[in-house]
Amino acid sequence: MKTIEPNRSPSEIAVSAHGALESPLITGNQTFHSVTEKIAGILERKTPKGWYVGFSLAVSLLMLLVGTVGYLVWEGTGIWGVNNPVGWGWAIVNFIWWVGIGHAGTLISAILFLLRQQWRTSINRFAEAMTLFAVICALLFPGIHVGRMWVIYYFFPIPNQMSMWPNFRSPLLWDFFAVGTYFTVSLLFWYTGLIPDLATMRDRAKSRMKKIVFGLLSLGWRGGNRQWQHYELSYLILAGLSTPLVLSVHSVVSTDFATSIIPGWHTTIFPPYFVAGAIFSGFAMVMTLALIARKIFGLEHFITLNHLEKMNKIMLVTGSMVGYAYIMEFFIAWYSGNEFESFAFINRAFGPYAWAYWTMFICNVLLPQLFWFKKIRTSIPIMFTMTIFINIGMWFERFVITVTSLSRDFLPSSWDYYIPTIFDVFTFIGSFGLFFTLFLLFLRFLPMISMAEVKGVLPQADPHYGHDHASKKGGAA
Amino acid sequence: MSTEKALQQLSPTADPKKYWTSLGQIEQSPEFQKMVEREFPEGASEMTDPMSRRRFINLMGASMALAGLASCRRPVEKIIPYVIQPEQITPGIAQRYATTMPFGLSAFGLTVESHEGRPTKLEGNHLHPASMGRADAFIQASILDLYDPDRSQLVQKNGKKATWAAFVDFWSKLYVSYLNNGGQGLAILSESFASPTLYRLKQNFTQTFPKAVWATYEPVSDENIFAGISAATGQSLQPNYDYSKANVVLALDSDFLMMDSENLTAARGFATGRRVASETDSMNRLYVVEPAFTITGGMADHRLRLQSGQVGTFLATLAKALQRQNVKVDNRWLPAQNEPSSIDTAWIKELARDLVANQSQSLIVAGRRQPAEVHALVFALNQSLGNIGKTVVYRALNDAAAPSTESLVELSKALKSGEVETLFILGGNPAYSAPADLAFDKLLTTAKQTIHFGKNADETGSLTTWQLPQSHYLESWGDTRSADGTASVIQPLIEPLFDSRNTVEMLSLITTGALPKAYDVVRETWNSLIPGNFEAGWRRVLHDGVLADSATPVIHPAIDKKLATFLQAHPFPATSATAASMEIIFTASASTFDGRFANIGWLQELPDPNTKLTWDNAALLSHTTAQKLGVKNEDLVAVELKGRMISLPVWIMPGQADWTVVVALGYGRTKAGRIGNYIGQNTYTLRTSESLHFTRGAKITPTNGIYALACTQDFHGLDVEKLASEGIDRRLPTLIREATLAEYRNHPEFAGQESEFPNNSMWPDWKYDTGYQWGMSIDLNVCTGCNACTIACQSENNIPIVGKRQVAKGREMHWLRLDRYYSGNLDAPQMVFEPVGCQQCEMAPCEQVCPVAATTHDAEGLNVMTYNRCVGTRYCSNNCPYKVRRFNFFNYTKDTPEIARMAMNPDVTVRFRGVMEKCTYCLQRINRGKQVAKKENREVRDGEIVVACQQTCPTDAIVFGNINDPDSQVSKMKKQNRDYGLLAELNTRPRTSYLAKLRNPNPELELSNHRG
Repeated sequence: MKTIEPNRSPSEIAVSAHGALESPLITGNQTFHSVTEKIAGILERKTPKGWYVGFSLAVSLLMLLVGTVGYLVWEGTGIWGVNNPVGWGWAIVNFIWWVGIGHAGTLISAILFLLRQQWRTSINRFAEAMTLFAVICALLFPGIHVGRMWVIYYFFPIPNQMSMWPNFRSPLLWDFFAVGTYFTVSLLFWYTGLIPDLATMRDRAKSRMKKIVFGLLSLGWRGGNRQWQHYELSYLILAGLSTPLVLSVHSVVSTDFATSIIPGWHTTIFPPYFVAGAIFSGFAMVMTLALIARKIFGLEHFITLNHLEKMNKIMLVTGSMVGYAYIMEFFIAWYSGNEFESFAFINRAFGPYAWAYWTMFICNVLLPQLFWFKKIRTSIPIMFTMTIFINIGMWFERFVITVTSLSRDFLPSSWDYYIPTIFDVFTFIGSFGLFFTLFLLFLRFLPMISMAEVKGVLPQADPHYGHDHASKKGGAA
Repeated sequence: MSTEKALQQLSPTADPKKYWTSLGQIEQSPEFQKMVEREFPEGASEMTDPMSRRRFINLMGASMALAGLASCRRPVEKIIPYVIQPEQITPGIAQRYATTMPFGLSAFGLTVESHEGRPTKLEGNHLHPASMGRADAFIQASILDLYDPDRSQLVQKNGKKATWAAFVDFWSKLYVSYLNNGGQGLAILSESFASPTLYRLKQNFTQTFPKAVWATYEPVSDENIFAGISAATGQSLQPNYDYSKANVVLALDSDFLMMDSENLTAARGFATGRRVASETDSMNRLYVVEPAFTITGGMADHRLRLQSGQVGTFLATLAKALQRQNVKVDNRWLPAQNEPSSIDTAWIKELARDLVANQSQSLIVAGRRQPAEVHALVFALNQSLGNIGKTVVYRALNDAAAPSTESLVELSKALKSGEVETLFILGGNPAYSAPADLAFDKLLTTAKQTIHFGKNADETGSLTTWQLPQSHYLESWGDTRSADGTASVIQPLIEPLFDSRNTVEMLSLITTGALPKAYDVVRETWNSLIPGNFEAGWRRVLHDGVLADSATPVIHPAIDKKLATFLQAHPFPATSATAASMEIIFTASASTFDGRFANIGWLQELPDPNTKLTWDNAALLSHTTAQKLGVKNEDLVAVELKGRMISLPVWIMPGQADWTVVVALGYGRTKAGRIGNYIGQNTYTLRTSESLHFTRGAKITPTNGIYALACTQDFHGLDVEKLASEGIDRRLPTLIREATLAEYRNHPEFAGQESEFPNNSMWPDWKYDTGYQWGMSIDLNVCTGCNACTIACQSENNIPIVGKRQVAKGREMHWLRLDRYYSGNLDAPQMVFEPVGCQQCEMAPCEQVCPVAATTHDAEGLNVMTYNRCVGTRYCSNNCPYKVRRFNFFNYTKDTPEIARMAMNPDVTVRFRGVMEKCTYCLQRINRGKQVAKKENREVRDGEIVVACQQTCPTDAIVFGNINDPDSQVSKMKKQNRDYGLLAELNTRPRTSYLAKLRNPNPELELSNHRG
């Protein structure tokens, strides 16, 4: 990589940009120009072969999803393993899992933005993209898990021939609104953040097609002072709007369970516990993807070890919160003195689904504790493995909650074991196809790192940059 | 955990009453766990899946046959509506006609709901003494036998299409020659019947063809009972038990509440003596001695497991004990040898004391599988106890062709020696159900021509020269006599769907050489039966279904002198069956009976009340036997008897006698039709004419195979771990509340404890205090678990069957299920049933969570489902603590043949896939009742609306009505102190409540019973 600007020591950048002694956010002595070159360059270069390989793999999986869903519509919900006591199986588990993953994006973008955590700039773009795609995957499942998909519009509070409102008391409806709102706001937030970069792409575009598309998408962005003012304001507002949503979405999703009367579901700890779990799994997924992208596209200077370590710390915190919730559930079950309640939790840990419970517990609670050690926190192979385990663990958390509680509820006569079928597996794997197809398209056609924002945290962006020094270099690229 | 430890945990010292649902829950072995992990339902290739099999069925045959059925076909002969007599038929308003279902020697009077000439539902006829307005599962499901798409639809000769005219032509030529030689070479093999017309025709036949052979065979019958009574009295008599008058009942290997004949009257009478309204009431006491659990054993206050072959010895020992207590017992009735030590003497002593204390108010009854000598001694003891004439009366067997296995053996001999030239088989399926040693299917080729007259071209019909389609009883004219001799008519509800003739016509044809109209033949018989004006009397009979006061007179038989010699000649075995020579018991199946109902999907999918198995039979073993043989549930074993062998999966049953294996008949049919073919294993292949019911000498060898069974309660042997079993033990006493009569008297409020939810809601409750408020009360004390309600519900509400594979997945659709639990230890447990349908909660958890408001509450307190609105999120089912909601995972009715759809109730929607459904309290019946009341400008009267399960319940355990009316029967039941709501502590406020179960153990025996 070529750098045009003269070298400066990283520590100087950090001191000048933040006024505090800290490892730098962006390394490799980037300038505004080098940032643009690096990030936009990825999109302007010839498509690498690896992308095609990845993309065809993703599309194959997507076709598997399309085929399975087609068969599902044709044949009925019965192709899955769901049965009488266990009315919700993998579809709902996948839904919550994907929604959970979709949490990190907005959290990174919005909450960290409001908290002025500038290290977010390197990861927020694709974290947000990941959020959107994860939420799309998530939204797929409630849509197809119902028995009659063709009347799913009964959920919408729209005028209809039956003159009927949906049932506003049902948590499923709250879900529908919560996830819908979250998706809309996340999309807007992401798109708003994209506008300056889209304009950069437009400006650099060589083909007519690209000029038109990026031209339309960038909404006439010129980078004027006024535009920046409006932009900053609207971005702030959207960040403010998204912030409560981050907390509300999974809280609402958790009410699907918490408001029911089934032992193991009927738990007041669920909203905070679900949010913590969602952030936990979301960060894990961002990490997984970031580590891959960082390696493949050579973004080590933008996504630094510093970023990764910070994220690991968040995972350690949220993982411990989740662990606390697991233990607290047990305590409350015992403390309540309720036979059904205590049985539900003992059954989770030692019943027929104990294997799932302990997979969850090890992956989510025990393994992240290793992040207490800096060596582990900063080892890329270990953290990569860890994020995979966390994602597996979080999937099992949802499985444990959904399935074990249903399989053994009140009347022993109706107890039954749930066994997924091959079609459950296909739908789940297929949803990865959808996710990666969208994600690879994103990587190929949109700047994966927010150029405008990264530039904002470069030392050169500091109004006082260079004032205390002899050098006047380092202005606009 | 070893079984011994498990047993210790369930010892009587551990209070309170402990329940467990299955063996697996107590017994936990690593192999069993491995089996659970195998997650068998996915890979089990043995499973037959009617869902997919039905795909392949070509509907063409049925559609063609039904081409003429598009409009209704009402019989031309005049029949009279039973309840409503409209000036003309109003479409949408069902009519009810009376008819009778013949079932062996029994007959059950029915009223049939008919929609525009299409019978849809069978219910008992109040005026008929054998049904008394009730019907069991078999009777109700026989509607599907009518609409069986696999019925024989046309005359076949050597498998080729032929006509009735061709057959009449064929027979009239033969007829003349037989007329001349007196019927030499002519033979008839018929089913048993009790019918004035058929009997008259049979007499005519014997007169016309004096040299002809007439054999009567039933695979499952009361033959032994008749033989025993005949040995004791010298007369051919039919016993009529009156359980309502018996304070103490001893049932010896008898399932009088369900599988034995005249079960409806027995259950009704028994419940009368069982029902308790308050703690001051008394109730009867039931002792049961049986090899394997039956629902009768489940109702027992004291139950002793004993090999079938030991029952006679038990009875002899009891006789001696009675003798010691000064009951007149002739020494010559008793065996000389000493009492065997294997039978609990304390038990017998107390039982004898109880019987003596209740002389003339007690009853000893033995089951149909027990040999004649047991029945003879039972008669003698009942006589000595003064019960005859009180709790049991005897009547002559009038107008009956009683079953006789001997006559079949004789016929077989004649066939073998080539003496039979022409063989008529009137009904039945001997090629399948005849004893294996006769090899009847091979004998059929020895006759020059064989004619099978039957509903199906079954295992027999496909081997005979001619196959003639027989009409279903709902298409036939005929008549019957019930157990007390009451005459009733069979009148057709619909013209024959296919080119069939009924039995009366067929027998007339054989006797006279011409095909008459059955209507005329039956009327001719009744000319002599009806006193006074015939036409008026006939009309009355058609309306009522029965001829009033036609019961035959009671006979007071004395003990025949030959009884002693008979009993001496037939000693009871003193030894018991052992590992080397196990006892095998052939039972009628609760689903297919003797195989005749094999093609009825409702029955195949109906869980056996005791095993909860569907779509299969199994080798039932006690847990000790299984352990010693080293086999587990679903292991395939070879069952060997006298050189014959079949392979069956093992199913372990608590409370079964050791070294017995119980196998159900009626499975493994090959020509039953699309539903019944290759379901289970044919156990007739082990059954010989010497040992029709049970015998020793069976051997069980484990094989390596595994065969997956579809069980509706103990799914996948899952309840194995100790944790779960302990959890169940802790919760069950709150789910099924039970006490002994003594405990109830001491604590009359025992049932109501801890079910009340503290109501401190922030919002005022909805007041359900105006109009009708529907509610239900189920008396667990008289519920026998007989399954009749499940089928009534299935028939009334168009509930689909889903097939074995779907049941194995846990997707059965029954709206009303019977939960079965055990308490006590594995060897001597008690069994209890709890019918669970939608509880119609006032605070329904399902309603709150439905996102589209498809399930809501109505002003009458009903939790109603709007199928059109249902999206199918299944959230309601998840949130239902009773798990009574049923989801249509597939379009289960898509492949229902056109003809079987005729059995659908037009008042109830047929649900599409993706829709949730559940018990509605028979909303269509409620609405009909309200319409009628509104038209008459009055309130609905109590008891006017009768829901399907309630209607058919033989013991009246289910009561439905308006709980807003303090005088209604249901309100009165709910006011009883035994009333409790299932899981009411969840604040669901269920509208269905239960009356706690009671048992009435003999205080002297209570301890030893628990000791097991």
